[in-house]
Amino acid sequence: MSPANPLPPVAGIGLRSPHVAQVRHDRPAVGWLEVHSENYFVDGGSALSALEAIRADYPISLHGVGLSLGSADALDAGHLARLKRLADRIEPVLVSEHLCWGRIDGRHLNDLLPLPFTNEALALCCDRVSAVQNALDRPLLVENVSAYLRFEDDAMAEWEFVAAVVRRTGCKLLLDVNNIYVNAVNHGFDPLMYLAAMPGDAIAEIHLAGFDASGACLIDTHGARVAPPVWALYRAAIERFGPKPTLIEWDTDLPALNVLLDEAAIARAVLEESNAVAA
Amino acid sequence: MQSLREVQRGFAAATVFGDTTALAALGVVGGGLDPIARIGVYRNNVLGNYRKALGATYPVVRRLVGAPFFNAAVDAFVRAYPSRHGDVNRYGGELVRFLAAYAPARELPYLPDVARLEWAIDQAAIAADAPPLDLAALAAVPADAFERLIFVLNPSAHFLASAYPIQRIWQVNQDGFEGDDAVDLGAGGDRLLVLRGANGVTIERLGAGEHALLTALARRAGLGEAAARAAGKEDGFDLTRALRHHVEAQTLVAIRVPASTQPRTGR
Repeated sequence: MSPANPLPPVAGIGLRSPHVAQVRHDRPAVGWLEVHSENYFVDGGSALSALEAIRADYPISLHGVGLSLGSADALDAGHLARLKRLADRIEPVLVSEHLCWGRIDGRHLNDLLPLPFTNEALALCCDRVSAVQNALDRPLLVENVSAYLRFEDDAMAEWEFVAAVVRRTGCKLLLDVNNIYVNAVNHGFDPLMYLAAMPGDAIAEIHLAGFDASGACLIDTHGARVAPPVWALYRAAIERFGPKPTLIEWDTDLPALNVLLDEAAIARAVLEESNAVAA
Repeated sequence: MQSLREVQRGFAAATVFGDTTALAALGVVGGGLDPIARIGVYRNNVLGNYRKALGATYPVVRRLVGAPFFNAAVDAFVRAYPSRHGDVNRYGGELVRFLAAYAPARELPYLPDVARLEWAIDQAAIAADAPPLDLAALAAVPADAFERLIFVLNPSAHFLASAYPIQRIWQVNQDGFEGDDAVDLGAGGDRLLVLRGANGVTIERLGAGEHALLTALARRAGLGEAAARAAGKEDGFDLTRALRHHVEAQTLVAIRVPASTQPRTGR
């Protein structure tokens, strides 16, 4: 297994293809970059060679969106093999996936879908996380997802489910603070209570992103600046857990690279403030 | 209490197929918002993701039919041809087959071939890298071995033949295309090579001889047999010129010289 904290607690940004050329050219001062693993599940071509060039200048985190850890279908061995091949090639500092499902009866829905928080789902997720950690021979970070519905069959709260997966498998946690806020609003709970249930030592990364509030519930679009209440929750998380590597994610209506860098600078200020207090 | 599989099966039925009976059985907590509205968020996300992903793979098809038509076709495609990979980038090759049988698109008979071209472009961009052919190795082939010489094609090479001028259709529907965008559907068909070479992905029109040569080589036919096929399709076919061009363009990236000079025997 790799060292527990391969990345210092600094701010990074999600790297999307429209920004790749500028990042290669300008080499902006940002601590690390995260890409979606599946976008590099290719045999060759310019995207993969660009990533191989960029990894010389920045630590890279591989963030998966399609492994479907919580699916009642078997784990997709082909998908896992592609992830392993990519990880061997890129040597990422972190490898993460979502605590959700996306496939049933052989059909993929290619989305991050909500699990019922049942004992059956918990046991299955734990088995899968352990299998992935064994296959990759490194700790996996699992991320809490945003959800627009809950199930009557839930046997526990989301935070209990997330904490139990981490405790039982020894995996790391990618805490998405925006997703906690979105779910707190959508399902009516206190986000600070959620934070209090998280195993701080296992948090290896934090995600921040923007949501859409124009509908009947908050939608996690990754298409806007981080909202003020999410920044407040982030400050509370850093105060509670200490500084953690923090990533600005943006996927829809991708703005200029500078906007992401501005957001990362805000996160960096919070992290540096926390370091100064600790010193 | 439902099993995890039952929940996920019901969820897929409710989102992809809009099955309200399945939704009712799911046991979704209302809590201030109707379960139909809640599953509707996922329905929009799931179908919206596919519309966006396939729109990026098939921009010309989308432009030819317009966004509303394209989105409706994608929704129907998703129901008929499930995604089989967690990597959405791998989804969509069967749209060609789907469109060929899609009644609302019948007025655009060239549409499946345009889709085939766009899928080939998409696949060429992510195919394995291949170093160019070593000309010294080619020069070292003894003259008596040329007949049986085998060429390895660039992994990105895709061949397409259509009864319609699909390269022209593709070209005039590119962003920023300027000039006369008229297409004469009766102008004759295309034999195309889609390839990722030194200059990225390109679309090249092939002559009848060239097409016969390369598709035979792609099947691992010996050069003698491939050249004979080309000559049969095109009077005065210039083999040397075609080989030189396709080595330079990196269509042909390696050679194998079979050891034996024995005539090939069947199994």
